[in-house]
Amino acid sequence: MDASLLIIIAVGLFVVYAVVQYNRLVRLNVQVDEAFAQIEVQLKRRADLIPNLVETVKGYASHEREALEKVVQARAASTTASTLPAIAAADGALTNALRGLLAVAEAYPDLKASSNFLQLQEELATTENKVSFSRQFYNETVRTLNTAVKTIPTSFFVGLAKVGAREFYEVDDPAARNAPNVKF
Amino acid sequence: MANFRALQAANKRKTFGLLFFMGLLVWLIAYVAISSFGGTGAGVIPLAVGISLISVWGSYYASDKLVLKMTRAKVIQESDNPKLFNLVNEVCIASGLPMPKVAIVDDPAPNAFATGRDPNHALIAFTTGLLDVMDRDELQGVVAHEMSHVANRDTLVSAIAATTAGIVALISDILMRMLWFGGSRNRDHNGNQMPIFLAIIPLILAPLAATLLKAAISRKREALADATAVSFTRNPAGLRAALEVLARDNTVVQARSSAVAHMYIESPLDASAASKLFATHPPIQERIETLRRMEANPSQ
Repeated sequence: MDASLLIIIAVGLFVVYAVVQYNRLVRLNVQVDEAFAQIEVQLKRRADLIPNLVETVKGYASHEREALEKVVQARAASTTASTLPAIAAADGALTNALRGLLAVAEAYPDLKASSNFLQLQEELATTENKVSFSRQFYNETVRTLNTAVKTIPTSFFVGLAKVGAREFYEVDDPAARNAPNVKF
Repeated sequence: MANFRALQAANKRKTFGLLFFMGLLVWLIAYVAISSFGGTGAGVIPLAVGISLISVWGSYYASDKLVLKMTRAKVIQESDNPKLFNLVNEVCIASGLPMPKVAIVDDPAPNAFATGRDPNHALIAFTTGLLDVMDRDELQGVVAHEMSHVANRDTLVSAIAATTAGIVALISDILMRMLWFGGSRNRDHNGNQMPIFLAIIPLILAPLAATLLKAAISRKREALADATAVSFTRNPAGLRAALEVLARDNTVVQARSSAVAHMYIESPLDASAASKLFATHPPIQERIETLRRMEANPSQ
């Protein structure tokens, strides 16, 4: 074997290696996009549930104007948010507003016993879980991507793959981080 | 070491360690076969590997369908139990796994299992008894535990363990029979062969060691599934409460058999019948304690 053959083999191996690293970064970046799309799907589901909930609560507790108003406003804000921090902030505000409304609902036994509310209860519980799990999964994918972007050897290929560290989805709600399972 | 990341890493490491010993055991028994039985011993090896591969991998490949028959589970649709589907869907979102098939076993004993050769062919099943006694958080813990088996490819891990244990058992069995019925033929050419009586000890001990290793692997995968479940739900209290319900309950699944015992969340076999070393699951109190430590020490 002469030297030129060795060089060709070495270059070939390096190209294969670079392709693997490049693909890993691109794949992780796509996973973050997918995870973010999942959050948006779940937020949309929740936004679609709210008019029904608001109507149901109004029927029994119409004078709880403040709590109802907060939910309606938070929902409106969440549908117009477009950047990640804005979406996360609106999401957190809506979660808190919903929690406030449901706390108010506790005081109305008729409301809690109504068939409409009982139907909504499971829907709300699962939607709230889905929202919080999709946030958690998104942050997990960001964590994996950011680790790859900052650690050797993948960090050498960041420029080539045009992939950078991504933002975490942070909801301004200390309770949501420790206890993702909201009970309704 | 009370957070789920550390526990996941430790259990994965231990599984690899145990599988490595399993591999060593196969080499040991092959060595004994060749060195003390010569050509006939060497001929037994591919036979044992072939039989074991065919029998285990056939059932691995069709695991979702076979298990349905063995456990009398029935696949259900979303309209049959929307709440259960919601719970499974939630865990799918938390884990990034595709939606599995969901099945129900009509049995009053609370239990659940997961099977399927890969996440795209996964099936998780719950007994009616389990669905009746558990609240939403507890059910979520059980669903997360079963989805963890899917995520960790435990059907594959147990198939590998069963194949290697099968190879060891078959080689030992065939060679022991040859010793019994035709041992005299080998006495003519004992030039550089190991004396036959020395081969008897590994032939007896190896299958036993393989069975113990297989059970140890199963226990590690159960502990791993508990830790992975917490990584999905971040709620160790739910799974812990579910295990406490299972610990209090003393009914056992009717359509049980040792062939499917390792798949259930709680061992469906009578606990007193098997000693701790042969158990497919860690003691339930130990699992509850581990989850309690995770509750006291949330990782984030």
